[in-house]
Amino acid sequence: MTEAVRLDSITKRFPGVVANDDVTLSVERGTVHALLGENGAGKTTLMNVLYGLYEPTEGDVYVDGDGLTYDDDGAVADAPRRFDSPGDAIDAGVGMIHQHFMLVDPMTVAENITLGNEPRKWGGLAVDRDASREAVLELSERYGFDVEPDARIEDIGVGVQQRVEILKALYRGAEVLILDEPTAVLTPQEVEDLFDVLEELTDAGKTVIFITHKLGEALEAADEVTVLRDGRNVGTVGTADTTREELAELMVGREVMLETETPPATPGETALSVEGVTAVDDRDVVAVDDVSFSVREGEVFGIAGVDGNGQSELVEVVTGLHSLEEGRVELAGRDVTHASRRERTRAGMAYIPEDRQDRGLVMDFDLTENGVLGSQHDAPFAERGRLDWDRAEGHASEIIEEYDVRPPDADAEAKSLSGGNQQKFIVGREFSREPSCIVASHPTRGVDIGSTEFIHDRLVDLRDEGRAVLLVSSKLDEVRGLSDRLAVMYRGRIVDVVDPDEVTEEQLGLMMAGERPEDVPRAERVADAGPRSRDDADAEVADD
Amino acid sequence: MSVVDAVDGLGTRTRIAAASVGVALLAAVGIALAGHADVLLAVLALLFQKSTLAAALRLSVPIAFAALGGIFAEKSGVINIGLEGLLIVSAFGGVYVTSITGSVWLGLLGGVLASSLLALLFAIVCIEFRADQIIAGLAIWLIALGLAPFASTVVFGSTNASAGATFPGIDQLLANTGIPVVSTTVVAGLEALAGIPFLGALFEASPVVYLMFVAVAASWWTLNRTFFGRWVRASGENPRALDTAGVDVSRVRYAAVILSGVLAGVGGAALSLSLGQFVGNGPTMVNGKGFIAIVTYLLGNYNPIGAMLSTLLFAGLDALQLSLQGQNVLAIPRPLVRTIPYVSVIVVLALFGRTRLPEAAGEHYESGEE
Repeated sequence: MTEAVRLDSITKRFPGVVANDDVTLSVERGTVHALLGENGAGKTTLMNVLYGLYEPTEGDVYVDGDGLTYDDDGAVADAPRRFDSPGDAIDAGVGMIHQHFMLVDPMTVAENITLGNEPRKWGGLAVDRDASREAVLELSERYGFDVEPDARIEDIGVGVQQRVEILKALYRGAEVLILDEPTAVLTPQEVEDLFDVLEELTDAGKTVIFITHKLGEALEAADEVTVLRDGRNVGTVGTADTTREELAELMVGREVMLETETPPATPGETALSVEGVTAVDDRDVVAVDDVSFSVREGEVFGIAGVDGNGQSELVEVVTGLHSLEEGRVELAGRDVTHASRRERTRAGMAYIPEDRQDRGLVMDFDLTENGVLGSQHDAPFAERGRLDWDRAEGHASEIIEEYDVRPPDADAEAKSLSGGNQQKFIVGREFSREPSCIVASHPTRGVDIGSTEFIHDRLVDLRDEGRAVLLVSSKLDEVRGLSDRLAVMYRGRIVDVVDPDEVTEEQLGLMMAGERPEDVPRAERVADAGPRSRDDADAEVADD
Repeated sequence: MSVVDAVDGLGTRTRIAAASVGVALLAAVGIALAGHADVLLAVLALLFQKSTLAAALRLSVPIAFAALGGIFAEKSGVINIGLEGLLIVSAFGGVYVTSITGSVWLGLLGGVLASSLLALLFAIVCIEFRADQIIAGLAIWLIALGLAPFASTVVFGSTNASAGATFPGIDQLLANTGIPVVSTTVVAGLEALAGIPFLGALFEASPVVYLMFVAVAASWWTLNRTFFGRWVRASGENPRALDTAGVDVSRVRYAAVILSGVLAGVGGAALSLSLGQFVGNGPTMVNGKGFIAIVTYLLGNYNPIGAMLSTLLFAGLDALQLSLQGQNVLAIPRPLVRTIPYVSVIVVLALFGRTRLPEAAGEHYESGEE
């Protein structure tokens, strides 16, 4: 075994928090190593230590893309690395592909790849643009990437942007590549392509470390998996010798029900109907293009799609936060197309927004104040223009208790809570409105597995009580598992509405990439669909 | 190739020119229909006088240099609203050094030095101490507004000061080079060209006007063709990308802000040394040119060439209103005539204010911050 990376007893403390606690990690050269863990488990912190963004409080970092050397006793003979900045890590052959791409949107692919390391001419003054274009083409051919050096980043797709990030690292001579949640923004097909790329890289002798919270992907793409929990390494296993259940247990620290059966729905009257809605985004580009659907009482209607295909705008049109060019929105038979947000809330529409910090909470308010947001004009909280704060505090405390929000303190400011707890509080507040229709946009984004289970169960309970649920999520497992009917959105249009029991993930993925439904082979693949279930273990645990 | 690139980014801006012409034509038709064709002809005659172009070029210099400085600072992510202050200190610094040394060129250098030091202070406050850029920028202006007239009173005994020298004409400058061909043939050629009606003004301008055109071209080239320019743009769009590429964002921003001080310094010193004096009472002789510069580079969408064109538009209108005042062609009060360039700029901005700000403009950046 030849290690390319060894992190020896790394501890990283921040004021009040131990992000990494005595973590030892060893990565073999020429392999893909997955770093698996829930949100806040310390995966990204550990990799930022390896990448020089953080200095470890204690512990040593050893890196050599060609393999470390050892002395007679088997101890590492290389000197430990001290990275003061990413620049040092780059020099040592460590490249990082961040979850949020580090690309300059108005610049071209070649400009981005060579940024900070431009080929020069004219005595070092001017950038040699021909040389940088050639270097990019040469690299891109060597690894079988298909990128156009002169395209602007803002004009290319997310999958291609990710390849540009990888090329950027390779251009700088990276031997060890760290990918932070690389699949979060990709369609299933793009994920497959990415895994092929990773194979090309390891075949060429590169070493890949891949941060993820998705069990399935870790098992599929990696040779070895290291699981982090609460900042500690709780085990490294070969993917050949482990199971999803074992990994899930390592990750969460208890046994998890990976799959729960959802009882069938008994839909009633139409509660929410959207007809021919067209809307433009902030740049005046059509984002929602003639979309029609309806959600019935006692039904979960799901909308799947890769982020940025018009779901956000559609949800905001439905909830009254975004104006529409054409079309009609009806709530329980009443035209609410031009009704304000407040009117819609009063008419029984609850809303769990996509961006909790921007739309869901006022970060500088405490939970008592946040708990009455949206109800501040109405009984029982408001009376002749003044708010009943005792009642409001009682209300916040109820939400906190029922939804296990931590810390359990109604006086805590919203910004002091972790992302997952903020989300639980919003979900609690919205469900407590006793709505007839719930619009839930990415309701479990950034929430841990346990709370995800809980939120899913509550959504199904509300459905069974006869309420209508419109669920938008980019997580296929979530929308597939919860929805009774499922629409797939691509470039502002609904590609098709399907029964989630009768499509496979691959078919959905193809539709999410814009394949027309009739082109997607269906009949012969129904057998693969398996029992309808939702996979809580692959719950999205996004960044915070 | 370069020309195509240069026009790139001007796309929507070309409509500005079209619209301005349209508005002017409408106004002209309006005046003509109202039975004042003679007024219209008089205005047109003024517009196409050689002296109007000469004045427009002269008025452009401080604005254009300040705008170039503003472009570099803001492209790097630091909004430099203190350009006005930089122009004021360099206008005084130029006069002061010239009065001591007797050389306008050393005076120009002195102005640049004064402005750069103030820009350095601004950079330290904004980058090192993470002050709000807008507030710090206003402070720079207010400091300069107080400091320059005060220094003038201490040194010269009055808020107004005389440099005792001005820039030589371009012909004089060339004649003194000592190179035979230049001092005879070229000078003679220039004199002949200067005889052309209207456009002749281009051949007998102050040396700083030519310096301005060189600076515009050099700024464009620096921003778009050099590694420094790329780093500046990346620093203003996505500083984290630049940081993770191993480039120190703070250093790039320092360099860009100090460069904005250098450029504004040339503009301020050119302003005062063209007249040979510093006027320090009221809003000083700079009188809002630094703020107009911000408008012109926004209108030019951060493209130095676009900024130059919008500067010329403003300076042209300013030159025209000066002539209109002098000749009293329009039968309206002079204070109203004086507002023509400002009103026009507001109208143009309102109609075409589609500037794309750098993504990270105005934001602090600290390495390692999550």
